[in-house]
This record gives sequence, C-alpha cells and structure tokens, in this order.
Amino acid sequence: MTAILDLWAALPDVVRSTAWILIVTVAVILSVAFTTLWERKVIGWMQLRKGPNRVGSIFGLLPGIFQPFADVIKLLLKEVVLPSAANKWLFRVAPAITLIPAFAAWAVMPLDPALVIADIDAGLLYVLSLTSVGVYGIILAGWATNSKYAFLGAMRSAAQIVAYEIAMGFALVGVVMAAGTLNLGDIVRAQEGGVSSWFFLWLFPLFVVYLIAGVAETNRAPFDVAEGESEIVAGFHVEYSGIAFALFFLAEYANMILISALTAVFFLGGWLSPFEGVLAADNALAQPGFHWLFLKLFFFLTCFMWYRATFPRYRYDQIMRLGWKVLIPVTLVWIAVAAVMVHFRVGPWSAN
Amino acid sequence: MFVQILFYAFSAILLAAALGVIASRNPVHSALSLVLAFFTSAALWLLIEVEFLAIVLVLVYVGAVMVLFLFVVMMLDVNIERVRGGFIRHAGLGLVVASLVAAQMIGVFWARNLGVDATLGAPPLPDDYSNTRALGEVLYTQYVYPFELAAVLLLVAIVAAITLTLRQRPGLKPQDVAKQVAVRREDRVRLVTGVDAAGTGPGADRDASPRGGEGA
Amino acid sequence: MLSQYLPALIFLGVASGLAAVLLLLGTGLGRWLARAPDDAEKRSSYECGFEAFEETRMKFDVRYYLVAILFIVFDLEIAFLFPWAVALDSIGGFGLISMGIFLGILVVGFIYEWKKGALEWD
Repeated sequence: MTAILDLWAALPDVVRSTAWILIVTVAVILSVAFTTLWERKVIGWMQLRKGPNRVGSIFGLLPGIFQPFADVIKLLLKEVVLPSAANKWLFRVAPAITLIPAFAAWAVMPLDPALVIADIDAGLLYVLSLTSVGVYGIILAGWATNSKYAFLGAMRSAAQIVAYEIAMGFALVGVVMAAGTLNLGDIVRAQEGGVSSWFFLWLFPLFVVYLIAGVAETNRAPFDVAEGESEIVAGFHVEYSGIAFALFFLAEYANMILISALTAVFFLGGWLSPFEGVLAADNALAQPGFHWLFLKLFFFLTCFMWYRATFPRYRYDQIMRLGWKVLIPVTLVWIAVAAVMVHFRVGPWSAN
Repeated sequence: MFVQILFYAFSAILLAAALGVIASRNPVHSALSLVLAFFTSAALWLLIEVEFLAIVLVLVYVGAVMVLFLFVVMMLDVNIERVRGGFIRHAGLGLVVASLVAAQMIGVFWARNLGVDATLGAPPLPDDYSNTRALGEVLYTQYVYPFELAAVLLLVAIVAAITLTLRQRPGLKPQDVAKQVAVRREDRVRLVTGVDAAGTGPGADRDASPRGGEGA
Repeated sequence: MLSQYLPALIFLGVASGLAAVLLLLGTGLGRWLARAPDDAEKRSSYECGFEAFEETRMKFDVRYYLVAILFIVFDLEIAFLFPWAVALDSIGGFGLISMGIFLGILVVGFIYEWKKGALEWD
C-alpha cells in the first residue's frame, strides 16, 4: 500500500491531476445516473408509488438499482434523427456545448481539505463564467432545430437564465465579501469554527436567493417553462432523440449536482464538519472531509426533487417578476448590510 | 517553452476565429466565431497572468454581450443576399478604415520597437499574489473617478436601452399582485336580494350568487 | 499561478472529449441499428399534424432584446463588485463609500426601469 502511495506521490503533477480529472468525470457521470433513479424513487414515494423497481436488484435488495444503465443503453442505441430543416452542424454541436461547462466547472471544486484539482485564485469567477456559457447550448439547440417550439423554448430559457444569473452573481458577491477571497477552498476555510460561522446564517437572504436562482438556472421545476411539455412540448430539445437528447439530460443533472455542491461550499462550509467545536477535536465526527461535502450536496440534490414534486410550474411573467423584482432588490439590500457588517467587523469574519 | 507552444496555438485559433467572423455566410456562425475569438483572447490574457480580466472577458463578453448578439442575429431576419450586394459599393470605405486600423497597429508595434516579446510571459509574481485583490486595492481608491464615471455610463446605457426599445402594447391586462392581495370582500361580492316579494325565492338569504365575482 | 490553470484546461479537454465520444458513439450505433425508413416525414419539423404555416425564424418581441441589454449592464456591475468584495478589508471606509455611490447611481437606473415598466412581462 505504501509502495503505491509513494509511486503516486512521485508522479508528475500533470499526471496526478489528469488522473483526478478522469476520476471526477466518471464519478459525476455515475452520480447523474443514480440521481435520475433517486429522483424517480423520491417523487414516487411522495406520490405514494414505488418508483422503478423492475430492472435488477442486489440479492433481492434495492430493486430497480440497474434502471439507469438500462436507460443509458437504450438511449445509446436509439437513432439520432436529424430534421431536414435543421442547421446540421450546430444541431449536433449544441448538446456538447451544454455538457462541457457542467463538467469542467468541477475543476475548481474543493472536494477535500487537501484536494482541489485546479486551485486557482479566481475560482468563483471561473465557475460563474463557465455556467454562463451553458446558455449557448440551449439557444443554439433552439435555433438550429428550426422548429417553433424549440425556438420559443430557447428564447424563454435564455431570458430566464439571464435574469437569474444576475441574482446569483449578486448573492455570490455577498459570499466573497464575507470570505475576502474568490478561491473556493479559502471560502470554505473562512467558514471554519462550527455551524455558527457558516455563511448561511449570516447571509441568509443571499442563501435563499442562491437556492432559488440555482433552480431557475438549471431550468428545473417549478421554473421549467423552457421545456413546458404542456405548452411547447419539450422546448429546445423537442427534435432531439437518442444520445443527443441524453447529452442534454446529462448536462441538466450534472448542473443540478454542481449547483448543490456549490451551495454547500458557499453557504454550508463545504467539507467542514457540522460537529466542529461541539465534539472534541480528535473525535472522528469532528474531522473535515469529503463525506461532509457529499452529505450536504445530497441534501440539496434531494431538495431539487422535493421542489419538483411539490410546486406547480410558475407562469413566465411570474418567473421574470420574481427574478427582477424580488431577488435582485433583496440581494442589493443584503450586500449593503453585509458590507457594513464586514467593515465594522461584525459576525464570524471579524477575525481577519 | 510550453507556454510558448500554448501562445502560438491560441494565437492561431484566434486568427482563424477572427477570419471566420468576417468570412462566414451565416450570421449565427459569425457570432459563434466571435465567441471562440473571445475565448482564445481570454486564454492569451491568462498567459500574461491577468487572471481577473481574462475571466471577466469570458463572463461579460461571452456570457452577456454575445448572448445579445445572438438574440439580435437570430431574431432579425437579415436578408444576407441584400447585405452582400452592397459589398462593392462600400468596398472603398472599408479599405480606408482597414488601412487606418492597420496603420494604428503598426504604430503600436513601432513604438515598442518590437522590444517586448509577448511570448516570454510576464515576470514571476510572488506566491500569494492575487490579481483580483491587486486590482481591487487601486480601482476603488486611486481610480475612483473613472470608476464612478463607469457607473454613469452604465446608467446612460440603461436609460438609452429603455427609451429605444420599450413599447407599451395597448389592450393588455397584466397581473397586479398588490391589487389582487388588497382586494376586499365588498369589491367582489354583491348582495342579491330575493327574487319574489315574499323573500322566499332562490337567492334570498344568500350573500352572493355563485357568479358574484364577475359582477364586480 | 499560471500552472494552476493547466488542470482546468485539461478538464475542459476531457469534457469536450467525453461529449464528442458520446455523440459519435451514439450517432453511429443509432444509425447502424436504425430500423425505420429514412423518409421526408420522419425528418420534417414537429408540428401538431399539419405543415408549418410560416418560417420558424420569425420576428421576436423586442422585450427579449431589452432584457439582454439590461443583463449586460448588471453583469458589468457584478464584475465591478467582485474585486471590491475581495479587497474590502484593505480599502477601508473610502472604498465602501465609493462603491456606495456606484451602486447608488445604478439603483437609480434600476428604479427607472422598474417605474418605466421595462421589467413587466405580459
């Protein structure tokens, strides 16, 4: 075991980070697969159904556990129909453009006290700029398809994402003010000292705004007018089939997982333990680590499903009103409050 | 060495993308080439360690400005044939502008006398150097006047955009939440008295008819 | 600092590779296994059972254009806020006031667009 660890440490940095990149990529893909299953199960339970329980089981336990693999194989084998009116090249590239930022943003995620793949100084800006690129895939898909439903869906989605991106950006300004850095690992470290110094308490309005904006950014229910199956059939991906559709699906779920992880990092102390300062420092539960990030991420991910099972879809003008007239004023006010708090050293960040 | 290879690779992509912007027949393809050009410019900026500006270039130009461009290009059905027809007519003016730009660029390089080799990269910076913090420490104190001017400029942009594009369509019935919440019982419910003199008919002793809400 | 961007670049490459491989694999397998004949009806744009009446790429409400411009303005505002937020502890009260004026001017713009009804969707 030590021999392997020595070998690992002796490898050049590039090789090690490439290995981590591949591990994270595969982990995100697998998480997406099981998130789809978890979503169907959770919504099933909330509606007093069983959810998928036919495909596979492990010794009679966990019925339906292999459902995602069946879905993936089916989607891989389906024909990708190319509409004759479509712009051939952009139609094929659009799903890739949505997928790439959803994965590449993981590069700056602080997974563990000692593990960030790319420990860049402006990590938060990197994430923000990458997620703002994701909207291109949707706009291009809607335009390249050359179908009215797709075009309407794309335009709706673009205007909506754009409105909520501002609220999200303002909310993150508050986080940066409190932490005094753009590096995600340092943002987590700025929240050290137990639950009471996690940012969700001190920046509670911004935390709520970020949660809502995160749901809207990923085009999830109740803000899923871009798909709106009852009005514009499926919005921007109405003509997509097979693997091209699967890429949009993969990107949507990868974005959900990403937003959940980011919420945990920005507001719930990422990999910090909630028992820090409560239990003795040498207690295993008080140790920071990836498992805490995972638990927090899983909680927010399940919230996404909870929203979907609970709320009816917002009307489009209501979405725009919420984004522009409620969330943005709330963030502006709280940025002012937080600025005064930081300046007069009130709150958990008084130490620095 | 590796940085140099990256520099030439990104520069080549940048030039190809810039060429694509003007050479493409489809305006959407042109806009996308411009997006690629912005991306590679950001990468080039990163190579000279201007981290904040490089990422903001992507955030603002790719994430916001080009979305507007795409909106415009996709929504206005520009007749490409007609636009291309004007090529010869405007070629003279175009040449003048192009030679002016070329002269300016040559001037820039001439002034530096080719002394600075951009591919060598910036001088090494201390480990705890934060580009964003360095910018923040001067932008809001030393350069506060241009900073406030930027705010005024943005304000002008807001006002201009609204005066240019905002049109109120007549005959709309937008939802007014405040009005809906503030509604009182008297506004909606009408007391309907009995239909016959004895007061025993249908409708007597009722607060409202089932359709009372529409009568208000 | 620069070397930290290399893994991010590699990650972008890996993600692009993943997308390309999945697209090529799926398209190839799908074409190979396709059973339904490839006719004009299958490839026609989706409509509710009739031919589309007009071009898809129609003129659109100018409101979307307005939203995009307002988005640029606010995005720039956010870009200005980030270095300020990072340097807040070292620029002191002067920095606080200069940003207060900056935001104050832009809040005037925000109130203007609100009162003008530019944020109204109908």
